[in-house]
Amino acid sequence: MNGTAPLVSVRNLKKEFPIRKGVLSRQVGAVKAVNDVSFDVARGETLGVVGESGCGKTTTGRAILRLIEPTSGDIRFEGRDIRAMGTSELRALRRELQIIFQDPVSSLNPRMTVGAIIREGLTIHKLAEGAAADARVRQLLQEVGLRPEYSNRYPHEFSGGQRQRIGIARALSVEPKFIVCDEPVSALDVSVQAQVINLLEDLQRDHDLTYMFIAHDLSVVEHIADRVAVMYLGKIVELATAEDLYATPLMPYTQALLSAVPVADPKARKERIILQGDVPSPANPPSGCVFHPRCHHPAKDAACAAIVPPLEEKTPGHFAACIKQPPTTVSWEQQKEAGGVHRPERYLPLAAVHA
Amino acid sequence: MTAPLLSIRSLRTWFYTESGVARAVDGVSFDIGAGETLGIVGESGCGKSVTALSILRLIQPPGRIESGSVIEFEGKDIVTLGDEEIRDIRGNRISMIFQEPMSALNPVFTVGDQVAEVARVHAKMSRKDAWDRAVEMLALTGIPDADSRARQYPHQLSGGMRQRVLIAMALMMKPALVIADEPTTALDVTIQAQILDLLVDLQKKIGTSILMITHDLGVIAETASRVIVMYAGEVVEEADVDELFAKPHHPYTEGLMHSMPHIGHDQERLNVIPGTVPAPTEWPAGCRFRERCPYSWERCESEHPPLYQIGTSHVSRCHLAVEPERRNHPHPPVVVEAGVAAA
Amino acid sequence: MPWQTQDFAADSGPTRYRESPLALGLRRILRKRSSRVALFVLGVIVLVGLLAPLVAPYNPAAQPDIVGLKDLPPSFAHPFGTDPYSRDVLSRVIYGARLSLMIGVLATIVSLTVGVAYGAISGYAGGILDAVMMRLLDACLSIPRLLLLIGVLVAWPNFSIGALVVFLGLTGWFGLSRIVRGQVLALKHAEFITAAQALGASRRRILWRHLLPNLVSPIVVAATLGVAHVIVLEAGLSYLGIGVPPPLASWGNIIHDGSDQGATLWWMALFPGLFMVLTVMTLNILAEAMSDAYERR
Repeated sequence: MNGTAPLVSVRNLKKEFPIRKGVLSRQVGAVKAVNDVSFDVARGETLGVVGESGCGKTTTGRAILRLIEPTSGDIRFEGRDIRAMGTSELRALRRELQIIFQDPVSSLNPRMTVGAIIREGLTIHKLAEGAAADARVRQLLQEVGLRPEYSNRYPHEFSGGQRQRIGIARALSVEPKFIVCDEPVSALDVSVQAQVINLLEDLQRDHDLTYMFIAHDLSVVEHIADRVAVMYLGKIVELATAEDLYATPLMPYTQALLSAVPVADPKARKERIILQGDVPSPANPPSGCVFHPRCHHPAKDAACAAIVPPLEEKTPGHFAACIKQPPTTVSWEQQKEAGGVHRPERYLPLAAVHA
Repeated sequence: MTAPLLSIRSLRTWFYTESGVARAVDGVSFDIGAGETLGIVGESGCGKSVTALSILRLIQPPGRIESGSVIEFEGKDIVTLGDEEIRDIRGNRISMIFQEPMSALNPVFTVGDQVAEVARVHAKMSRKDAWDRAVEMLALTGIPDADSRARQYPHQLSGGMRQRVLIAMALMMKPALVIADEPTTALDVTIQAQILDLLVDLQKKIGTSILMITHDLGVIAETASRVIVMYAGEVVEEADVDELFAKPHHPYTEGLMHSMPHIGHDQERLNVIPGTVPAPTEWPAGCRFRERCPYSWERCESEHPPLYQIGTSHVSRCHLAVEPERRNHPHPPVVVEAGVAAA
Repeated sequence: MPWQTQDFAADSGPTRYRESPLALGLRRILRKRSSRVALFVLGVIVLVGLLAPLVAPYNPAAQPDIVGLKDLPPSFAHPFGTDPYSRDVLSRVIYGARLSLMIGVLATIVSLTVGVAYGAISGYAGGILDAVMMRLLDACLSIPRLLLLIGVLVAWPNFSIGALVVFLGLTGWFGLSRIVRGQVLALKHAEFITAAQALGASRRRILWRHLLPNLVSPIVVAATLGVAHVIVLEAGLSYLGIGVPPPLASWGNIIHDGSDQGATLWWMALFPGLFMVLTVMTLNILAEAMSDAYERR
């Protein structure tokens, strides 16, 4: 992009979960949760990752941190190969890459006090001890908007939004550079969401953090993210700046996703794109373009079922995986060979929706 | 104005828990007319789900309908009905769609059987007739290949499909009212769009009223014709949907609308409603929103606001209705020390 | 615009007074009348056992008058009567409480140590190790505990109380390890465990700091039931004559001593039996209350 090396770089990431059957648990198939995903995250930016259930966004986030071991692929942090790291190197890396979870209830140990939960990172990495550690815990609590004197309380005494703040304080305790935010506000009420989102933005500014923000709520992602990746069945189908994505979504799936979001304005008359059918199972993804069975692009044809569309740049900085949205490197001859009958044509049905 | 389908008056449902009495629903009144979609919007803890369950008398101990009445169109009060009469209403004249389709369906019966059962119980249909009617209903809800799908078990269907099954079950007897309790919250966005469209479509076809309960203002905007906003066990605002979004009166409604990020309107920072909802065992005196409200003044602490009329069909539980000039003097919210209020 | 974008630190605090999960659980248990009664009764029995030398009217082994005091039914001087060896039954029951409870607790401690270690390691490790350990456990579980005990104790010539405790303990951990393993499996995927991993915690740290503290509740429940079970087992073994060696007093022993003339010496079965029933019942009531309190979370 602008010459500086990305903070996190992911290439051809794949994660498969085996399906086992029979007494001997033989592998009969695989769920391709993440299926060849590549992207960069620049220092200081927030990359939003959106998609519906089963698209692989959570698995991607955890694979980057090696909380789930990737099946294959290349993950680099500040140029260092994460997958090649041994135990102690990985442990040291844990200071730099952190994660915030979705569920405020299960992500905090019910038997530990809030102070102990936040202090753990300091203890593991020998960052502070005794009174110094206590002081740091109090400082962190204040920073996330909680009263420091409540550090000897237990998680069950706090509300969902407060628990999320505790989780954020825990992630911050080791002074990370990169935080995977795995649906951090999905389980919270709307009014509390706003508080936590503002907090995350403040912290990013104050600590020069880089976020990978995973969510299924498109309005939240548009607000907080600089660039957005849309995932479907384990693949990135579109990647662009938030502004570009929401103004001119190129991938038919993104168009449908955006038009499906209920708008809090009764006067907005929407031409809704309603997708047919359900999300197919990641154990048995469709051939060619994984979205083609539900696609509404007028030029959709047999070529879509045969060719796996590359994620390519359609306009500067805006990538989409669709052979029917020009420009495309998949030539018309190739498409015809695979059974194509319609030429690629630009299809932007949502131009007027979010005016 | 024709007689309302359902008339709820001063409903109070309380839960007697080990930490005290939780007044989940504390004096709620509203009407539902024939053929309309009434939306109830509020966040967790406001009492909207408990209201829905109370209408069908599905509250289990330690909860209890303390007082109030739910008068249905024939004039009978559901709260005082006998067991057999209430069973006649449930699933038949008033039915319900729940949030979690997986837990609402019995995993050991086929979905066809479960839908057909409704007709067998209420209309005393034969097995065959009920099954045929069930398949018909499933097809109506947009399930492709309804006949073979009906023979499948719940775990073999996706979330969206299961919700359609629930909708089919709810509409089998062509009820006068369908209560939809967060019907799309557990579903993906694209599936949610399908289901909402379906509900609106079916309502037109069958003519039933819908009580749509949700925390999502977007869903309300798209489906409801009238809206009730609930907070802390009470109705705090009621209006037609256009009016509510254009001119919200109650500070909570206003705050909610301002704290939602909107696609296409980029803001630097989101506005927040500071603080948290009070615990249902300790509703504060006076106005329950007072501590988080940017406009509150002394009157809000001493006097619990009634529902003031502020338009032809717009009411709001806020003293700003009688002292509107206070809206020009916002201030940081008055915050009470947590844990100190109760001695 | 009245709606601020700044958050307020003052509003964010917990809602009530400080309450650890332990205190919360205790409060729930004590809320039930049955638990309070059970706790009281059990407490009395335990206290009596602990203070046996102070409470018992006579020396439990004393045989002051072999002929005159033999087989006497309950009276003022001997509220629980005397046994065929002219010893005071009340004193023997009191000392029996001490011994039976001690054996119960110690044997359960042995079971706990082995069972928790086995179950936790098996559950946490997973994979092949878990499979192998579980199959071994299945083999052990297939042998009925009582028969195993009888077999071992009959073959062993003169064993001490310590050996008895160890045998009882080593035959009682199978079910417990299953329970622990199940809990560990459930907890393994809890997000706070993933969070600890993300912080860089070692497996050992996760086991000790995160898993074990969350296993306390089911372990305590199982242990309580275990104590009750051992008390009954010991009584049975002693009744058969292969439990606590005479002349020591345990509840089972007392029943054994009076078993030849069971019909006439009814007080030798009634009183120890009564105390056993009370102890086991109260332990069960408390275990159930603890289990309920734990479930409610």
